[in-house]
Amino acid sequence: MNPQFIMDGLIAGAIIGLGAVGVTLTYSILRFSNFAHGELLSWGAYLALAVAGALGTLSAGLTKPIAPFSFGWALPLAAVIAIGLTGLLALAVDALLFSSFRRRGSAIIIMVMASFGASLALRSLLEFLFTSRPAYFTKALQIAMKLGGGLRATPDQLLMLGVTLVSVVTVHLLMTRTDIGRAMRAVSENPALASIAGIDVRRVIRTTWFLGAALACVAGIMSGLLIQIRPYIGHDLLLPLFAAAILGGIGSVPGAMLAGLIIGLCEALAVQAVGAEWRAAVSFVILIAVLLVRPRGLFGKAS
Amino acid sequence: MTGSILSTSGLVAGYEPDLPIVHGIDFSVASGELVVLLGPNGAGKSTFVKAIAGLVPIHAGTMLLNGRDITHVAPHRKVAEGLAFVPQTENVFATMTILENLQIAVAHLAKAKRAAAIEALFARFPDLAARPSRLAGALSGGQRQMLAVARALALDPPVIILDEPSAGLSPKIVSEVFEMLKAINASGVTVLLVEQNVKAALAIASRAVILAEGRIAHEGLPQDLASDPLVGKIYLGTAHDHQKAPA
Repeated sequence: MNPQFIMDGLIAGAIIGLGAVGVTLTYSILRFSNFAHGELLSWGAYLALAVAGALGTLSAGLTKPIAPFSFGWALPLAAVIAIGLTGLLALAVDALLFSSFRRRGSAIIIMVMASFGASLALRSLLEFLFTSRPAYFTKALQIAMKLGGGLRATPDQLLMLGVTLVSVVTVHLLMTRTDIGRAMRAVSENPALASIAGIDVRRVIRTTWFLGAALACVAGIMSGLLIQIRPYIGHDLLLPLFAAAILGGIGSVPGAMLAGLIIGLCEALAVQAVGAEWRAAVSFVILIAVLLVRPRGLFGKAS
Repeated sequence: MTGSILSTSGLVAGYEPDLPIVHGIDFSVASGELVVLLGPNGAGKSTFVKAIAGLVPIHAGTMLLNGRDITHVAPHRKVAEGLAFVPQTENVFATMTILENLQIAVAHLAKAKRAAAIEALFARFPDLAARPSRLAGALSGGQRQMLAVARALALDPPVIILDEPSAGLSPKIVSEVFEMLKAINASGVTVLLVEQNVKAALAIASRAVILAEGRIAHEGLPQDLASDPLVGKIYLGTAHDHQKAPA
């Protein structure tokens, strides 16, 4: 067996893990499965593409690749702006759709169905604006470097693994060492108690949307940079994202990341062992197995 | 004692607008009082105090804290205004440590003042100071109550409301909890206490109010209510055998 599956799995797992962190945060605090989360990945990637294109038009120097990577300064600058814009998009969807259901005390199933609707609307809008043809941040070719042990990776791939690590550590520190992180955990455990402990629950909800969307944007940009940008990138990742969030234990940031890596590695292993057509089945099998054997996941709290 | 610090006027509250549990209660607590709210199960005691705290919708009436209308103020803003509430159950963040529970409670203070505020709470509740990194979910019932009360006192509120703090505790711990409440009241904090433990509650209260069917049925001095056989029999379940009517 070619050991390269480890690198392929880690890279796929990093994208899944980052997206799953957003899923686990929104699920644990907003208390419903947001099936529109995948669309935030897609929108994040396209927003970054649009902003990077605009920056490149303003200054051609920004598109000149930063050695050894395949992209110029336009992409990191666009990523920062796209993170903010994706966060604002999530807040807008919440303000227009989910907040009214929350105010009415709607059942969870209504929120879930609304998220399906939001997912369809966001994806259709994306296809309308950008068409469904694949797009690329860069068309520069990169040669994979030998890393030892039969593993190879491009500089872009290694950078994305580093970005993932920094993102997850940052979110973990935010959740455990800051006022807003403690407030998010408190709301996740008991919103009523949180409110009488002086926590502004609505502010926590807004922060959760923004943070989840920001991570989705980073995952979308990573996917776009390492593979390609399509309106369906988020939709296609939805099952692995939820499988990772559930395997990691709802509410656990390190759990979601670790589970994302596990799912990415399992997918890559399945591609080598039984064929690429089975890749999508891996997340489904893991999801069912976890729900049957350990519903609270690796790091979830027992209910 | 001075003037009213907390009052309600015609307060109607309940989870559904067409099914009120609290029916137009006019009520007030004077600054420095320790008022105990008694009554049979289902009388609306917990709903009433939860409505004051902002956890149950208010459908009519008004509520004043220190003369300010807080009827429709969000629960977290009521905390900042000086109204602390300790629920009967699930009153600590079980998956967080003792220290994290207190850090949440002092988050409204300026950063420079937070460490001193937590130290002051640890000095007041030394049991909590022993292992601040312990998960709140691993604490005993009495320790949880202490942590819940410590959390509520973190911002030095002028008023604290407690919903059955003795529920589910052993008799020894119950007496410790009531001693703690007496001490809190003696330090100048106005206390509104919902209790089922009538005898112990009346022993520390400065005034008692009895609720029945979402309305105030009786109020008065604790000793008067305790010695009134009719009140005891009908509302408090404290009637003695010799007070029963002959067959």
